[in-house]
Amino acid sequence: MLEVSNLSVSYGRHLALSDVALSVGQGEIVVVLGANGAGKSTFIKALAGLVTPAPGARILLGGQSLERLPAHQIVEAGLALVPEGRHLFSTLTVAENLSLGAFLPRTRAQASDSLERVFAVFPKLRQRLSQIAGTMSGGEQQMVAIGRAMMTDPQLLLLDEPSLGLSPLLTTELFRALPNIAATGTSVLMVEQNSHQSLSISDRGYLLEDGRITGEGAASDLLQSEAVQKAYLGM
Amino acid sequence: MFMNALLSGLTLGGVYALVAMGLTIQYGVSRSLNLGYGEFLIGAAFAVYVLFGALGISPYLLALVVVPVAFGLSWLIYRVMLTPILRRARTPVALEIDSLLLTFGLLFAMMGIMLLVFGSNYTSYTYLSVPVRILDATVALNRLVSFGAAVVVGALAFAFLMRTRTGMALRAVAVDPVGAQLVGIDVKWAAGLAFAIGGAIAALGGVLISTYMTFTAEMGVVFTMKALIVVIMAGVGHVVGALLVGLALGLIEAFVAAYLDPGLTVAVIYAVFLLALIVRPVGIFGRAVR
Repeated sequence: MLEVSNLSVSYGRHLALSDVALSVGQGEIVVVLGANGAGKSTFIKALAGLVTPAPGARILLGGQSLERLPAHQIVEAGLALVPEGRHLFSTLTVAENLSLGAFLPRTRAQASDSLERVFAVFPKLRQRLSQIAGTMSGGEQQMVAIGRAMMTDPQLLLLDEPSLGLSPLLTTELFRALPNIAATGTSVLMVEQNSHQSLSISDRGYLLEDGRITGEGAASDLLQSEAVQKAYLGM
Repeated sequence: MFMNALLSGLTLGGVYALVAMGLTIQYGVSRSLNLGYGEFLIGAAFAVYVLFGALGISPYLLALVVVPVAFGLSWLIYRVMLTPILRRARTPVALEIDSLLLTFGLLFAMMGIMLLVFGSNYTSYTYLSVPVRILDATVALNRLVSFGAAVVVGALAFAFLMRTRTGMALRAVAVDPVGAQLVGIDVKWAAGLAFAIGGAIAALGGVLISTYMTFTAEMGVVFTMKALIVVIMAGVGHVVGALLVGLALGLIEAFVAAYLDPGLTVAVIYAVFLLALIVRPVGIFGRAVR
């Protein structure tokens, strides 16, 4: 469903991402593991249109090319990003944040269905609709950010280090929710440092080092792999 | 004296509130502070002065022409002059500095054209200059009508921002432009629209003020500064705050002029501004959020 090939990004002379190729199937959860500075954020921002890929890159979502589209049209095409730092509308209410998720005409028609799906995954949000988003705890804000992305009715949900800054308990709660999202047919692609928990709920994983993909495989195999355990699981 | 000061303060403050609202929409959404904002106001005042003199049509009706022209012109300025800067700027700070320099130039260009055409003399015309008695005070009808128009348009603009999807999109861009892109809002479009709405509101303010105030080609900067003071005191992008502080500014001016000295109004306003900044650097209604 998502097919990425030849994806490179440079900031000035610094090559942050080099020839990345990756695919995600329908309803699949895929994790890209990498250390700080490996290029994880650059990779996910390039997919969402927040940084411009070098010429020659191919990003296909359900057959549609995304590599030249501006960020707002990529959302229209069906790819939603939950960014690092969340970028919520912090002075608006949770209800307004979610409702803005369904801003596009394509998503507006599905808004009430999408909202039910958000509540099914994060039941807590139903009671918090009138709260100002910026006054919530980090974990709750992450739920709103994911909920807002779900409101765009995406084919693919991108998550940029969703566990960053969350307590272990909240991280577990968050990772438990992701398979429920994938079960509705929305694919999930995330970049993470927290490899153990993210791998245990993923179908497949990729390893990103110095801007290059250095390994890939089924999540269960990666969890067993000695190299991965050494590099990412701290064992 | 009290009622007179109150009425003149309210009528003036109503227009200040409207003009500040326009600037806070412009600045809050597009992140480009338009130093030529007051020139739109004065430009509209001159346009109405000329058209009223030539055609004899009510300035309030002429607003129906002048305001849409200002809307279109502001939109054009944003698309032609400010979008290239937006593309070039690497950081939000770079964008603010570049757009400040650019609109500083815009200020002088517009002022120069107006000086060339109209000279530097004080200009005014007489329309609806009929005294109206309210309680034991007298106020000119043009001030009352202008105040009424400011209230109606301010309320409509507020309803547009709060109740419509487009208004909600503008607010979203003001709060978080990256987040706005991620829900599919075209931020460049929103910024252009906000810039145009701001320019239109400035022009309406100019039309309203011209019915009872003398103005010169060089006075735009005075209105830019006053609007800016209101916007910063209220907290950038805070519409209700801008309306309240704008109204307060008009009242302060009127009461200082009536009870202290008309020459002290500017000094007192800047003193209040400084005090507010010391006590609440993020603005009276601003929230210290990222």
